[in-house]
Amino acid sequence: MKQNLKALSLAAVAASALATGAAHAEPGPWSDEPVRIVVTFPPGGTSDLVARLLAQHLDADFGQKAVVDNRPGAAGTVAADYVAQQPADGTTLILSNNAPFTISPTRFESLPYDPLGGFTHVAYIGASAPGLFVQPSSGITTLAEYVDFVKNTPMTYGSSGVGSISHILGEAVDKALSVESIHVPYQGSSPAIQDFRAGALDSFYDMVVQNSDMIEDGEAVALAIASPDRNPQLPDVPTFKEQGYDVVIENWVGLSAPAGIEPDMRAQIHETVLAVFGSPEVQTKLTDLGITHVSMSSEDYETLVGDLIGTWAPLIEAAGISN
Amino acid sequence: MEILASFGQGLLVVLQPENLIYCFIGVFLGTFIGVLPGIGSMAAIAMLLPATFYLDPTPALVMIAGVFYGAEYGGATASILLNVPGTPAASITAIEGHQLAKKGRAGVALFSTATASFGGGIIGMIVIALLSPSLASLALSFAPADYFAVILLGLIAAAAVSNGGALKGIAMVVTGLMLGTIGIDLTTGVERFTMGIPELRDGVHIVIVAMGLFGVSEVIASIRSARKGSIAQTVDYTDFYPSKKEWASLFAPILRGGTIGSFVGALPGTGQTIAAALAYAAEKRVSPQRADFGNGVVPGVAVPEAANNSATQTAFIPTLTLGVPGSPPMAIVIGALMIYGITPGPRLLTEQPDMFWGLVASFLVGNILLLILNVPLIGIWVRLLRIPYKFMYPTIIVLICMGVYSLNNNVFDVWLTLVIGVVGYVMRLFRFEPAPLLLGFVLGPLMEEQLRRTMLLSRGDPMVFLERPISATLLAVTCIIVIFALSSTVRARRQTLAQRTPPNRKDRSNETES
Repeated sequence: MKQNLKALSLAAVAASALATGAAHAEPGPWSDEPVRIVVTFPPGGTSDLVARLLAQHLDADFGQKAVVDNRPGAAGTVAADYVAQQPADGTTLILSNNAPFTISPTRFESLPYDPLGGFTHVAYIGASAPGLFVQPSSGITTLAEYVDFVKNTPMTYGSSGVGSISHILGEAVDKALSVESIHVPYQGSSPAIQDFRAGALDSFYDMVVQNSDMIEDGEAVALAIASPDRNPQLPDVPTFKEQGYDVVIENWVGLSAPAGIEPDMRAQIHETVLAVFGSPEVQTKLTDLGITHVSMSSEDYETLVGDLIGTWAPLIEAAGISN
Repeated sequence: MEILASFGQGLLVVLQPENLIYCFIGVFLGTFIGVLPGIGSMAAIAMLLPATFYLDPTPALVMIAGVFYGAEYGGATASILLNVPGTPAASITAIEGHQLAKKGRAGVALFSTATASFGGGIIGMIVIALLSPSLASLALSFAPADYFAVILLGLIAAAAVSNGGALKGIAMVVTGLMLGTIGIDLTTGVERFTMGIPELRDGVHIVIVAMGLFGVSEVIASIRSARKGSIAQTVDYTDFYPSKKEWASLFAPILRGGTIGSFVGALPGTGQTIAAALAYAAEKRVSPQRADFGNGVVPGVAVPEAANNSATQTAFIPTLTLGVPGSPPMAIVIGALMIYGITPGPRLLTEQPDMFWGLVASFLVGNILLLILNVPLIGIWVRLLRIPYKFMYPTIIVLICMGVYSLNNNVFDVWLTLVIGVVGYVMRLFRFEPAPLLLGFVLGPLMEEQLRRTMLLSRGDPMVFLERPISATLLAVTCIIVIFALSSTVRARRQTLAQRTPPNRKDRSNETES
């Protein structure tokens, strides 16, 4: 058995060596080399799944070999710093998101990279939206009732951590509704939801589609979602906007490259990535992850990143989390 | 009945070929790493962690668990034959086991430890199956105050029972607590002790600390001692099975050791070494052969082995039902589950029943596999001890570097591991134990998190700890333990003062050069 195992692992090593060797020569739409997609989170999260989906379809549909490279740490800044220093030849890309690009610039006093000048933002992929959940026992079903309740008795709310998107949304909602709530941070949303179910928390903010089970089982009431429009998967959950509060905060993902990438190559990558996410099969998978796909030009995407840094800065500063 | 049905379901899960193979790989690697002196299950699990990224959660968990208890089987081998514990917990087994080996009865000792480990493992499994469902349903209503009380109880219990060199132990726990504060503060988002290094914003990874303290420093120590790794004793296979009288004397100690181990292991913070030490101490008082203890008796090797193996299994109870790691390796298990988006906690049993019961059933399958690996195939492991360390240890360093690098694909982590390894080596020179440091490092940040969360939720009112029945009960138990520990320390101090003899300090460290 020991011998067999050894043989098996040797075979696996040989096979993977062959695979990478073969990948080297194959011409892709923009690079003959395999492309690395750097992910700012550990394997298994939504970002990682999107990156793997992209890598798989780049290879299968366009012959562009791609591998996912997880470099988690320090709110995505480790990965962003790494990518900013790589050659701008299209072989290193980053699955960009709000953590290193729109939150960290305000949150951290000094960043080793420039979120706009240090990158060429190539393609916007899509976004998922968080929302506000309260206990069914509270009897609250609309934002108006929520405001009435919270004015007299402040609620505790759980978030996935200081500086996370759910925390920023919590701050934004407090500001828009002119109320004050008590923020209780957790390491990720699952422990927060556990405490919410145990009755220790009055409310929490988290991605809405991921918690559809709780809504259906009557374990939580989703008061509002922070997307511009209602989510087709949960048509009963109203937006903040339609209840009279201009709160739109989305967790977006896109694809970016180190600064200075050739315009032709940028266009080629943009076109290929949009083609991948344009297919109905891939869109279904994105929807399952709670992400709504939107097509956007590279220029618009770059503008969006810059705009979001500006819009979110006061919220992050108000939350008292910038160092 | 419901538990039996669930267990049967779990058995079906674990008997699927894929899970069975990973169970075998786990226990095989565990025995392998356990036999190697100094490199414990912690390092083995940490090295395997990257490989589990590519598995489904159930086989990954079954494999990691297999490494964990497999190492306790293997740990006994080196401690009996060389008097060098393969794992920290096996140092207790070495007390009697090596004496037996010196008398030429190594075969009997090895056979007894394998049998005892098996018995202890089965007892631990039964305790998990019976206790977990009710604990999980109780924990559904656990608030942060209750979690805080559980962790405090675990830390205090661990400190109270491991009173060998109390001052050094406390110093190590505090060092661990301080290491644990590095990173972004969860409640305020302020960076603490990161010295402007972005890699430290998330704190130091448990695997890095564990690999440095246990893996790297062990290798450095072995360079100095430069043993050749050859063993004097050869196992006499004709004298492998215990005599009839010894067989009979094996049963009760296994039962006692397994029971003590189960309950000690289920407390967060205590772990196998303390379970083995407590069970051995208790057996020394009640055994009919107590007069011969210290000269090599069969119950003396059976008890600690049964205890450490059952503790290894029951450590999964708080880990999976509360999400509070029972021991440092369990912190890695939680980390592994989080990668799959599974948060261990009271809902794990109902949301992932196949995984939970598959794991419990894998203890049965794994222990049977281990019995086969460790009784008929013991010769392989004995031969493994003959590999010169000059080949073995460089390989281990390479594996450690690979394992650490693959955590974040960051070279910084490799350097940090090596630095911690050097610090760990210096600690060894001054006889500071790394285990309490790791315990403080794992449980300290968790306790701080729950305490501050409780204060946020109660709007700063500390009475909440006494108002909630669960936390009030747990805090009362903690107080009793503190009073008991203090009074027994005072009594022991008085006795030694009365006798005017220096205290007999048995060296229980897991070092190679001792």
